[in-house]
Amino acid sequence: MELTQVRYFVALSRSLNFTRAAEACNVTQPALTRAIQRLEDELGGPLLFRERSTTQLTELGRTMLPHLDAMLMAADSAAALADARRRQPIASLKIGLAPGIGCGAIAFAVREVAAILPDLMIRLDEAAAAMLIESMLTDMLDCALLPEDCDLPDRFNHWPLYDDRAVAVLPVSHALAERTSLTAGDLHGETLLHGERCGGFAALFDTMCQGQARLRRCDGAIGHLLDLVHAGLGVALLSERIVLPATLIGLPITEPALTRRVRLVAIAGRPQGAAVSGFVKLCRARCGVDGR
Amino acid sequence: MSLQDKLDAERNLRLVNETVRAAYEETVATLSRNGLMPGVLVEEAPFPDFILPNTEGRLVSLSALLARGPVIVQFFRGEWCPYCRLMLDALVTLLPEIEALGASLVALTPDTGLPARDAKINHGAAFEVLSDIDCGVGLAAGVVFRLPPLYKARLQTVGLDVPGRHGNDAWFLPIPATFLLDREGRVAWRFADVDFTRRAAPERIVAALRQLAAPD
Repeated sequence: MELTQVRYFVALSRSLNFTRAAEACNVTQPALTRAIQRLEDELGGPLLFRERSTTQLTELGRTMLPHLDAMLMAADSAAALADARRRQPIASLKIGLAPGIGCGAIAFAVREVAAILPDLMIRLDEAAAAMLIESMLTDMLDCALLPEDCDLPDRFNHWPLYDDRAVAVLPVSHALAERTSLTAGDLHGETLLHGERCGGFAALFDTMCQGQARLRRCDGAIGHLLDLVHAGLGVALLSERIVLPATLIGLPITEPALTRRVRLVAIAGRPQGAAVSGFVKLCRARCGVDGR
Repeated sequence: MSLQDKLDAERNLRLVNETVRAAYEETVATLSRNGLMPGVLVEEAPFPDFILPNTEGRLVSLSALLARGPVIVQFFRGEWCPYCRLMLDALVTLLPEIEALGASLVALTPDTGLPARDAKINHGAAFEVLSDIDCGVGLAAGVVFRLPPLYKARLQTVGLDVPGRHGNDAWFLPIPATFLLDREGRVAWRFADVDFTRRAAPERIVAALRQLAAPD
């Protein structure tokens, strides 16, 4: 496949008009037609058909379009990032984080993009998954880290980043703090603090081991929750990736395994600037390397 | 035993299996007749500048490498491919000579995550292994093709999770082409073949590099 063939096909699939597509690509219509024919030869069938005065995508055309569009965007963004390294334009990176998902796993990618684009503006938003999806649809966010269990509209691409495991967070003075790991039985009779930013681990625990522990609703920022754990109000089940103060300890729970897969989510087919495409590529290149 | 001798032996061993033979012959025949080769970048063509992520989570810039000297850009299918494994080993052996001639080597695969990292770690590769996400740079170099049906079916039968490895379900692969770029980023020499069991001979890469360093 050639870059120009794919570029012409993607332009044509948008306008469904040979004349307009040729104009948009700055080529003659015969040249565009020849390029599309060569692409059809390579892909093994017609991508478009003409019906009376209209042009339509064939089934093969519809199947190939998102893949060819993604490949074209990848080609353009690899070059755009190289160009941005020379020109250093102002750029922004707006990342959504679902409740309880820290940015530790993606910080490396932000750092790399910022090294190329020194004027990069970074925004991290923590909110409920549904709100983050809405923000991406309205272009307020570029991409988001969401747990696997939330439903996504068809327009979204997603890639598994890592499996997040829960730890039981206790004060270092707690009777269990000497242990190296815990099971559900160890938490019998304990109070579990759970809130909207805890990543749903306490609710998962409660479903799997009903009655083992009491649940106490406790909404608020993670920092505030940690203060309450320190004061002895209860135990919190949080992502192992959350950095704890020295007064608290996080112990892995071996039975039952409390995990959730975290994925990177972005809208398919939306043109991205160099910063966003660089960030997404960095994250995709590390999919699963960090703790799967 | 030369790299091509090893590749030939591997191919002859595998083609005893009729299914493997049919998938191989279909791929070579499809790529021979469908006009892929004329689209592959030729000598003198400027290679598109790019920045891609490596297996350690860093961005690698072609122009930054070119500022230090000539660059060899090697496309490969992935560590799952036995011919790619042989080639990676040969490139690991060749690297000191490449570096002694002032050049660097980058190997681009559509694989991401652990499979891409394994290609580097399992072969002890000191060169950069870059994830060519969605085959973007491969497209710009003209080396990408869509897997023909028999070959795709064979990979699915043996349980190779190509969509998982690539992070898309397009089933595109690069032909394992080799490009030697001069310091201006132009293709000084290239090797490209529709037969994925044929690879650039290490001695030819070095000869091209020497020619570039000290033209006759």
